[in-house]
Formats: sequence, C-alpha cells, structure tokens
Amino acid sequence: MRLLWEELSRAVPMILHGDPTLLSVIWFTIQVAVIATTGAAVIGLPIAVAIGLGRFRGRRTLQIIANASLGLPPVVAGFFMFLLFVPQGPLGGLHLNVTRRGVFVVQTLLALPYVVALGAAAIQGLPPGLLGQARLLGAGRRQLSLFALREARIGVMAAMIAALGTSLSEVGAIVIVGGNAYGYDQTLASAILYEANAAHYADAVAIGIVLIGLILLLMCGLGVLQHQGDGIRWRFRSAA
Amino acid sequence: MAFLWDELRQAIPLIASGNDYILQLTWVTIKVAVVSTTGALVIGLPIGLALGLGRFRGRRTLQILANATLALPPVLGGLFMLLLVLPQGALGSLHYAFTLNAVYLAQTLLALPYIVALTPAAIQGLPPGLLAQARALGAGRRQLSLLALREARIGVIAAVIAAFGTALAEVGAVVIVGGNIENYDQTLASAVLAQVNDFANYPYALAISIVLLGLILVLIGLLTVLQQRGGVQLRFRSV
Repeated sequence: MRLLWEELSRAVPMILHGDPTLLSVIWFTIQVAVIATTGAAVIGLPIAVAIGLGRFRGRRTLQIIANASLGLPPVVAGFFMFLLFVPQGPLGGLHLNVTRRGVFVVQTLLALPYVVALGAAAIQGLPPGLLGQARLLGAGRRQLSLFALREARIGVMAAMIAALGTSLSEVGAIVIVGGNAYGYDQTLASAILYEANAAHYADAVAIGIVLIGLILLLMCGLGVLQHQGDGIRWRFRSAA
Repeated sequence: MAFLWDELRQAIPLIASGNDYILQLTWVTIKVAVVSTTGALVIGLPIGLALGLGRFRGRRTLQILANATLALPPVLGGLFMLLLVLPQGALGSLHYAFTLNAVYLAQTLLALPYIVALTPAAIQGLPPGLLAQARALGAGRRQLSLLALREARIGVIAAVIAAFGTALAEVGAVVIVGGNIENYDQTLASAVLAQVNDFANYPYALAISIVLLGLILVLIGLLTVLQQRGGVQLRFRSV
C-alpha cells in the first residue's frame, strides 16, 4: 500500500496547484465530451425518434444494427476511421488524423450508438396508449416527435449521459486517431495511459483523481434525474 | 477507395493462411477473456447473490456502489492494479508487473462489476412471488440461491457475455498493466493499437481487427438468441 500512498501524496499537490498541463488536458477532455455528445445528439436523436416512432420497413434491422454497434470495440472503430482519414484514404482531404478535430469526429461516432440505441429504447418504453392518443388527436409528425422526446426525456437524458461517459473514459479510438500527442490532443483517460507507460505514476494518479471527480459529477447528475423521474411518476399518479 | 481495397487484399491472406502472430494473439485474447470472466464469476456470483437475495442493512448502498463501478474508466482500473503489482507495491512480491498474470488480474477486476451489478438486477427481475414461495416452502439459503440462479439464468448469462465482451475489446488496462508486449501479453485489441501507432502496419491491423470483429459478432449473436428466447418466462407461464 505504501507505493499507492506515496504516489497519492505527490499527486494531490499537482491538482491543488493547478498544473497548467493538467488544466489544458481537463479543458480538452471537456471539449471532447461536450462536442461528441452534442454531435451524437444532433445526428442520433432524429434516428432514434424514427426508430422509436416510425412504422417503415427495415426499422427492426436499423435497431439491431444500432444495438450491435454498441458492442463494436473502440480500437476497431478508431482504426476504421483512421484508414478513412489517411492521406491516401477516401476522406484523406479532410486531414483529420493526429488532429483535435479528428478526435472530435471519432468520438462523436463512438457516442452515436448510445444515443440511437438507448434513445429509441426509451421512446419504445413509453406507455403504449400515449402516442396512439396523440396520433388520434391529429398530431403531425413533428409534434409527435417532440412529444415523444419530451415524454421519454429521462431515458433520453440517460442515453446522453452514457454517451458523455464513454467520451470521458474511452482510450482506444482517441489514441489511434489522435496519436495521443502530449500537450495537444490528450484527454484525461488517454493521458493516464501515456503517463503510466512513461512510468510517471504520480502524474497518472493526479489525472486519475480528476477523471474520477468528473465521472462522479456525471453520476450525481444521473441520480438527480432518476429522482426527478420518480417525482414525475408520482405527480402523474397523484393527478390521476 | 483503391487504398482501402489494397489494404484489405493484403489483410485477407494473413487471416486465411493462419498467420502465427495473429493466431497467437487470438489465443492470448481468448485466454484473457476466459480466465478473467471465470475469475469474476467465482468472486462476483456470491456477492451478486447476496445483493439480490439478502435482506441485510446496507444492501441498497452496496448495490449502488456496484452499479457505480460499472462506470469506472478501464485505464483507472489498470493504473490501480499496476500500482499494486509494481515491485514497491502491495502485491509486489508476486512479480506480476508487465506479465500475463497482471493482465488476468486487471481484466478480472474490470469484469467483476458486470457480474456483481447485473446478477442482482436479474434476480430482482424475477416474478415477485417465486422466491417468497420457495422460502415459505422451507428452502434453505443454499437451495434458494441455486433456484434464483437457475430462474435468472438468462440475465446472468447476459452479464457473463458482457464481461467477456469487455475482456475482448478493452485496451486501456491491458496496455497499462501488461505493457502491450508483442508475442506475450498482447491481445487482439491492444495489438491493433500497436500495429497502427507504433508500426503503421495497416494490413496487419486490419487482419487483427477482422478477427476481433468476428469474435465480437459471435458474442452479439449469442446475446440476441438469448434475448429472443426469453423462453424462461414463457415456459413458466405455460406451466
């Protein structure tokens, strides 16, 4: 236990003194998480709504693909993106490899299955009569979509938080596409990998503590949301 | 597209001809997944059962903790394990740092939350009367545990598959604790990382990715079949 303790006692001052490299890594991690989650929401929510509400052919297939892509190893997804972005590759003109933009793009793609698969599941979990009633009352496609999203908001938020969570803790894809360049496109998680491999254990522990802090914040957010969920059901029941 | 096609044309023969390096990676990966999932089952199943069936104080809190550990980043699990097994660490005398044994330990630690968190969820999802009836009919703790496991088997198997899947796909902890040493403790997933970042050897990376995807697809197929069956409840009803 002594080693753990020693590294910890060297790590804490680094956090307290606001080590500038650490601060820039924190800032980039938050950027990645926010951009990837927002991007995944903008692209994924319409797809989730379509799968959840639509009655078109291939809906089941789309959902199976979305669920399956949740199981795609991030290193493999990252590598496929990397091959597309290589100068000779089909998207080589975008110059995304070993850049921050590349990290944003690949992380958005990794967050997408969470929004699509979990968002669709949340909409499908709504009380069956609810949407049918809205349809009967003449809600258009647009109104129906907004209504479904509002009613399923707890599940949709949980999906977004899951997407945010992977963006915070994922390393495989980020390292492959971004190259894990020190002081440039490292996230907290990939910086831990870097520092641990360089035997800078105190740095790794300091970064680890910050990462746990961020994730705890997120989980508290989820907890609060779930409580609100109870509250909504309560209010709903007491009104009936 | 010509570039992608070229890489693929070089990658396919590597798989088809049974390249030694890739075969060895596949073997190590399967070993890591089997050992860590078994380890997690041996340690986690009793805890999961206690959380699912027990009626002791602090059960809720423990369950929340178990759920929370599912959200822990694998790199952190790896770092923690490395600090334990380094020569100066608490388990230093085992000389496990940068060995396959350390990879087993780290992956077991990462697989544990799946078993511990998902088993109680599966048990609590059983029809409410079932376990109470068994208790009323005088089932002992041992019998009750076996009954709960048998009835909740679909959920438990799903947890095992999820644990197995992370062991296959995970890189952060494996690389930190094992050092990603070629021909020794490299797994398929960590080999992709090394082949791309260290050697820019894309045909190999592609061949390894395809093998890894194949393994994952088998797992996803199993899970889908299990979900479709849901047969337990059906049979239960038909009786």
